[in-house]
Amino acid sequence: MSSNVTEKQPKILVLATLAGGYAGADSTGQVHSDYPANTYILPVLCPVMFPPEFFVRAFERGIDGIIIMYSGTDSPFKVEADGTAALVNSTYGLMKERNIDIRRLRLAAICTVCVKPFLKEINQMNDLLKGIGFVKSELSIRAQV
Amino acid sequence: MPEKKISNNETPSSEKVRVGVYTCHCGGNISHVVQCERVAKMLGKMPDVVIARTDPSFCSDSGQAVIEQDIKELGINRVVIGACAPSLHEQTFRNTVTRAGLNPYLYHHVGIREQDSWVHPNDPEGATDKAIRLMAAGLAKARLLTPLDPIRLKAEKHTLVIGGGVAGLRAALDIAHQGIRVTLVEKSPFLGGRMPQLESVFPTDEEARQLLNKLIQEVTAEESIKIITQAEVTGLSGYVGNYNISLTQHSRGVDGVTTEALMAACTQETPDEFNYNLTQRKVIYQPYPGCYPPTPAVDWEHYDGKPLQVNGKPFHLKDEPHNIELTVGAIVMATGFDPYEPRQGEYGYDQIPEVVTLPQLIRILSRIPKGEPLTWNGHAVRDLVLIHCVGSRELDGVNQPQADGQVNNYCSRVCCTASLHTAIDMRQRFPNLNIYELYQDIRTYGRGHEEIYRRAQNAMVRFVRYHGTELPEVLPAPAGDTHPVLVRVKDYLTRGKEIEMGVDMVVLAVGMMPRQIDDLVKMLKISRGTDRFLLEAHPKLRPVEMSVRGIVLAGTAQGPMNIQESLSAASAAAAKVAVLLGQGQVELPPFVARVDESKCNGTGACVEACREEGAIAMQTFKENGREIRRAVITPANCTGCGACVGACPNRAIDVQAWTLGQYEAMVDAITMEIPAILENVS
Repeated sequence: MSSNVTEKQPKILVLATLAGGYAGADSTGQVHSDYPANTYILPVLCPVMFPPEFFVRAFERGIDGIIIMYSGTDSPFKVEADGTAALVNSTYGLMKERNIDIRRLRLAAICTVCVKPFLKEINQMNDLLKGIGFVKSELSIRAQV
Repeated sequence: MPEKKISNNETPSSEKVRVGVYTCHCGGNISHVVQCERVAKMLGKMPDVVIARTDPSFCSDSGQAVIEQDIKELGINRVVIGACAPSLHEQTFRNTVTRAGLNPYLYHHVGIREQDSWVHPNDPEGATDKAIRLMAAGLAKARLLTPLDPIRLKAEKHTLVIGGGVAGLRAALDIAHQGIRVTLVEKSPFLGGRMPQLESVFPTDEEARQLLNKLIQEVTAEESIKIITQAEVTGLSGYVGNYNISLTQHSRGVDGVTTEALMAACTQETPDEFNYNLTQRKVIYQPYPGCYPPTPAVDWEHYDGKPLQVNGKPFHLKDEPHNIELTVGAIVMATGFDPYEPRQGEYGYDQIPEVVTLPQLIRILSRIPKGEPLTWNGHAVRDLVLIHCVGSRELDGVNQPQADGQVNNYCSRVCCTASLHTAIDMRQRFPNLNIYELYQDIRTYGRGHEEIYRRAQNAMVRFVRYHGTELPEVLPAPAGDTHPVLVRVKDYLTRGKEIEMGVDMVVLAVGMMPRQIDDLVKMLKISRGTDRFLLEAHPKLRPVEMSVRGIVLAGTAQGPMNIQESLSAASAAAAKVAVLLGQGQVELPPFVARVDESKCNGTGACVEACREEGAIAMQTFKENGREIRRAVITPANCTGCGACVGACPNRAIDVQAWTLGQYEAMVDAITMEIPAILENVS
């Protein structure tokens, strides 16, 4: 079973809008571009539905990095562009309170054919996580401090 | 729509959850990387899973039959399918479970092809682990799904067709024949699009304008079609079945009484785009005799605003744009294409006067009377070169990118046959003219098109084959040369022999470019492909529908097509509109907000967060003699964005089928250690 190997990999959760990032991830698949398998993409209608507590809970459960791939101003939802930016700002505040490195949460506008930007975001998050390590280690160390 | 009460743990009822989990091989597309049997085995051990199967292709009839049988015989009441992207087969499997008597929203689709096997081909272990976790997440969500009913709304039996070219006209006519009203809006003052710029059309050699005029006559005779020219879409709101459209229409600028006098008085000229700027025309104009509408129009973009002198008196032309509001059930995108415009200096274009494009050549030929010789730039044309694939099949690193940084790497499909068809015409009209076709590959793919290739060969059109990495060079000929232009090319029909030829004219067979409709794309929230043409929802399963429901594609807005293909696509689009609006109502997915009355204590935070007019409001109810304020959703106005969900301090509101609780359960499944999953099972 690969789990012993893959358990050692940081986990990246991608919350990707159906109108943007999720379709962009599908486009990346259609051109068979390779990226690490530690990436779990969940489709969302619009990311404004998540309260900041959702992200903190996900980090506490062991998600090491979260990328919100939204549709920005191209969204079918009026609230998405500025609402998501405001959400991320609020979440950063809560992450700081809980001693979670705010770089673990990123917001990126990804369109339906944004293959290169999609790969760039995944690779950048992987590079970051290699540097700052697992979220659970961070939480336990800071809890001890 | 009826509200469905749910308990706090989101399980819909006391009914025991029984899940069927199906992992598709996708004919090897998934199973060549992901160990599907292992995925099924792991999922089969998880709580509430009654059956976990694999199949070479669950979307096949036999694959769907297996799922249907399980629902009926094993009492499966939740279905999780791991397969290709949900955009491809989610609806297929919703229909499958519905046929078996299950609510279609008790099914969850997990994409493990585009987002797993196809992107992790060198990591089968990692890909399998990922598939297990994603499927486990799907299972976690499926356990919390509740039966839902689609929202049914009255649909306006009225369609907006954007674009008055051949595809828009055909679509409008076909839709009208199905008893649905049509408003056809055309940006330019005249109908017909690009077709009247052609002379005869392949493969039948019929006159383009005759065919077009027949179609226009049918359209204008149809009472249920309203034509609005010189107009653009400037606003849009609503959803399938009920799009509210704002149009802005410019004035025609002339009226019946003064038209002739105004045209006579008009002296200002501007390049004539109908002839691809080879000639000039007045700013009050008709593009060609017999155009529709026959009334001339003022070209407001180029009119300098100076008054005309009519009968010795100044006459001011005035554009007074006005707005038109419509409600339509569906929209047909028939916005057409533009021919590729070569850059200055590309094959000598816009630097060497003897270099023209194929559309320009067709206009030049149309202006030469029968029996007259072909002359250009003041000299007889004896030798002519046609270069294929200009602005098509471009290569990164070889061709200079467009303004947006991309090269046109697609084949425009139409230009090979168009070049050969024009070459044959020229050989017939000018028997002494030598024609050389410089091509990469001849792609005469349609019925009767290969015959055109053979006819061109028999007509002694000469062929030279170049490689896309070694483009022909077009240069001014040295002084004293017998020809004004020199063409150098490496010919791979003669094993790469370098050829130099002096010619009198160079014709660039330019490809098709998507039109600049950025504002429209943004307004309608529709998608474009990597080639920048409008993108269908699925190339095989939904080839003329866009991912935004109620918007369909007709013709070259979608990609390069010839007239025959444009007409087929237009008729297909019309058929889709007829099916959608024929019943007078549409079904929308039930992905709208839902209030849990037991948790709502009337903070009003949801109303404050909502940006959709009339989607949510606070209402006062009387319960046990007490007045209680609660949020109430109007499903028809709710878009399901979930702004209210994130804002509610009591978690009293959720988007149906996309609940916070479901996401939390999915995160837990993704982060759960695999051995722990198994321990939980035991």
